[in-house]
Amino acid sequence: MKHFILINHKKFDFVLLGLLVVLIAMGFVAIFTASTTAISDQMITANHWWKQIIFAGIAFLAAVFLLKLPMPIFDILILPAFVLNLLALILVLFTPAVSGSHRWFSIGNVNFQPSESAKLLTILMVARYITKENLSEYRQILYGFSIMIVPMVLIMIEPDFGTNLVFWASLMAMLIAAEVPLFFILLMISPVVSLVASLHWLGIVIWIAILILLLLRARLSWVAITVASIINTFIALITPVFWMGLKDYQQNRILTFMDPTRDPLGAGYQIIQAKIAIGSGSLTGKGWLLGTQKNMNFLPEHHTDFIFSVIGEEFGFVGSMFIILLFFAFFTRLIHNVVQLKVRERKVATAGIMAYLMFQTFINIGMNIGLVPATGIPLPFISYGGSNLMINTISVAVILKYLNERGFIK
Amino acid sequence: MNKSSRVFLIASIVLFGILIIALFRLQVIKGEHYRRVAESNFVRIRRLTATRGEIYDQKYRPIVQNIPSHNLYLLSGKIQNLPALARFISLHFELTVEEITEMVLNQRFRTYEEILVVDNVPFEKMLSVSEHLNYFPELVFRIGSTRDYLYPNHFTGYVGRINESEYERYEEEDYSINSYIGKTGLERYYEVLVRGQDGREVVQVDAQGRSLGLFQKGGYIEPLNGLSLVLTIDNELQDFANRVFPAGIKGTIVVSDISSGGILAYISKPDYDPNLFMQRITPEIWEELNSEAKPLMDRVIHATYPPGSVFKPITAGLGLQKKVIDQYTRLSPCVGGFQVGNRFFRCWDHSGHGTSNVAEALMRSCDVFFYDLSLKLRLDDFKAYVLACHLATKTGIDLPNERAGFFPDTAWYRKTFGRNVGIIGHKVNLSIGQGEVLTTPLQMNAFFAALANGGTWITPHLLKQTVGRGRLTREQVERTQKKQLPMSQSELRIIQEGLFAVCNSPYGTARSVQVPKARTFGKTGSAENFMGKKTHAWFCGYIVTDKPEIAVTVFMENAGGGAAMAAPVARQIFDFYMGNIEDIRRPAVLPPQFRSAEDLAQEEPQAQDPLEAEPELKQENDEALHSD
Repeated sequence: MKHFILINHKKFDFVLLGLLVVLIAMGFVAIFTASTTAISDQMITANHWWKQIIFAGIAFLAAVFLLKLPMPIFDILILPAFVLNLLALILVLFTPAVSGSHRWFSIGNVNFQPSESAKLLTILMVARYITKENLSEYRQILYGFSIMIVPMVLIMIEPDFGTNLVFWASLMAMLIAAEVPLFFILLMISPVVSLVASLHWLGIVIWIAILILLLLRARLSWVAITVASIINTFIALITPVFWMGLKDYQQNRILTFMDPTRDPLGAGYQIIQAKIAIGSGSLTGKGWLLGTQKNMNFLPEHHTDFIFSVIGEEFGFVGSMFIILLFFAFFTRLIHNVVQLKVRERKVATAGIMAYLMFQTFINIGMNIGLVPATGIPLPFISYGGSNLMINTISVAVILKYLNERGFIK
Repeated sequence: MNKSSRVFLIASIVLFGILIIALFRLQVIKGEHYRRVAESNFVRIRRLTATRGEIYDQKYRPIVQNIPSHNLYLLSGKIQNLPALARFISLHFELTVEEITEMVLNQRFRTYEEILVVDNVPFEKMLSVSEHLNYFPELVFRIGSTRDYLYPNHFTGYVGRINESEYERYEEEDYSINSYIGKTGLERYYEVLVRGQDGREVVQVDAQGRSLGLFQKGGYIEPLNGLSLVLTIDNELQDFANRVFPAGIKGTIVVSDISSGGILAYISKPDYDPNLFMQRITPEIWEELNSEAKPLMDRVIHATYPPGSVFKPITAGLGLQKKVIDQYTRLSPCVGGFQVGNRFFRCWDHSGHGTSNVAEALMRSCDVFFYDLSLKLRLDDFKAYVLACHLATKTGIDLPNERAGFFPDTAWYRKTFGRNVGIIGHKVNLSIGQGEVLTTPLQMNAFFAALANGGTWITPHLLKQTVGRGRLTREQVERTQKKQLPMSQSELRIIQEGLFAVCNSPYGTARSVQVPKARTFGKTGSAENFMGKKTHAWFCGYIVTDKPEIAVTVFMENAGGGAAMAAPVARQIFDFYMGNIEDIRRPAVLPPQFRSAEDLAQEEPQAQDPLEAEPELKQENDEALHSD
């Protein structure tokens, strides 16, 4: 029974755990101030912060339970859990819509979002099936897509565009970690680049040239290169035609998604308020609990998706940097761990989790400072929200478990 | 370090590098700029309240108008000293310090919008308060619009500030905590039409009024004003009916147009002035409104009463339909009462009427005829017939919370009084509209209108059309139901004959009700009830010229006999109608402010000066823009 002790002191990653705890603790601080309102000399704090502490406690217990769970049982459980999660994703479509989308199960006071757990379980599933031995690259990609497409379609119906992007990011990372040659990845993302390049004819020419050059360097056959470049040129040329075919309001919708300031009464309003809040924090910030923009409640949900605006306002550039560097350290630690793991399935899963957390962090902060469109993705570990915190913590716990028990079975 | 982790590391350095550069630009380079923007506190979305549609009578004379009002708003984020603010407000307005503190603290998460603290501030008050406002930058007066109800009535209802539970229910439909919402009457029933759609505006100016230029374009959604309602009500007839209703008596008058079902006058007494609800209601007024006379209750549709003898045409109709009687059948002679088993049921006229056929029984309102008739009818047939005549069931008038009334059936008696209950005694009572049967005055009016209209029952209604931003007919808003009463034309003629005799025969109970140039029909009723010693006085009737004109229902709570009390009032209304028939019948010309561009284009050939209408149109638009 020696092997089932909770922590293997030689292999357990205390650094990762420490970074995780610090990030979550930063979240308490940020949520406390985000849900505090000052009216003249009266300060009122909503109870979000201690709810988040309770969520963190529960997440911590779940992590301990996961570490204790024997690895074979954990491995067996993934498939049924994934199937159950898919059922939940189907069922959630029949719940009443909350602000236009069907994302949440509400049981009493608790809201559960099945797309959150679907992220982790899909990553674990994909990791398992693309690392089967003796698979060709094509099959790896095919398996990865086939598994991922089901939850993605269900989540697209909800609709939840942001979560779908997260899936793409982690699929790419997993294929890279599974050592699928990079040109495959290049071929996969090339249509998207072609779409963007189609804005200008010069862009098309340069992009197709770069594409051919890169594919040549990868020593691909002439046939493959020709087909790839013809398809991409075609996409680049057809996009403007397709664009002209769209109705005005459809064009507007897409343009507004790209540039929210076009819609000052909708998404643009939130972005501009977040930018004002963060920008007005300047170098050193206005100080803990002293944010004025936060206090005016310009942003409806600043303890969840827009929590970074409160950090930026009250702690300034210095505070923002602290959080960003903390995240950076956390992710480099995860990248370091990808190398440590020798079992391919676990290595790939770790890469997938790393990518999904990193992508969410980038999208959320980017959204707060007006770099990327608003998609409703919370900031991992920091934003208020039970199911999100729970799944993110469990994801890290999965990596901790892999590290803890590495070199044990295989 | 292998190849894939190198890719990851590069990717993370790139992503975080982008974030760091963007943050540096935002916070360090442009920090000062955003700090200034933040200090001005001025980038926010302002709701542009749509102007509520007005309400007019059928001749486009106003019933409910919008008038400008002064409202006091509070921006809680700017409060510097809450206790001082609360004291200041409580000093000038009827709000306590606790109420204000609670309001501010409760609404702090809900919105960055201004909180409407006091609405409809009187002008002098606004002037005196404004003098002190420089100490309280968080307070601001804004001009809005409020409702002016031109006369006390029960059909317009009134609007009020949205309350907590309404806000929770209708938040999705774009109501704010400062919104007004129709509370009762037409204001509530046609809320969706009258309300319009609020606009939005991004306010992005600094303290000096310069644009901050954060958005290049957009940021303005025009408010769409609500539709104005044109009712079937005729203000002059309404006013006349209001004046002829005896003072100090509770009751109703309903006058409806027989061919359309539109209601011309709608009186419920005692009434109240809806304008009272536009101000904060003082405890004294509140007490008065909830006094025993219940002025808030709309007795036309929210109260149900035993119909008494005005119900007799139903019993007669059923007897004819079931072929129990025909127009010549004479039933047991009236000797001032009627023996059923061991009970003696009295006729209202203790001296007795002798034998009568059905028309004579209606004319003299002889109870015994109907007692005897009821013995030959089944109770459940009775109930089905009553429902088919649209009594004891909602009429579907365009007002909220209409009551249905009641008519019992066998099952109900068994449930209430036990399985062995004797139905006969109850049936005898029901035959003259007494006992458990309850109807609203409006149901009786619609029924008598149907009798006059060749048996076609039409949903009584108040809305004729909408004008303003959109022109909808009543049929486009809601289909008017037309149904046939369960009476053949010959049965109908027999009943009409009886109703004619009521008003025109020397023996009729309402022989005073006659008007020149028209034939009058009617039925009196004096319904016994538990509410008081005196009977409820009823008169239901109609007049016919070359075609059916109007149906009038007069009802007075505990006022005495229908012939003595209600019938004379009805006669005055018939008189007034016939005296002004040309005015009332003449279709009104659409006032210029409601004419659309197409109307004007159409009129151009014959109108002397089509441009005349335009300044007014423009003026209205201006008003709409200025009102907040």
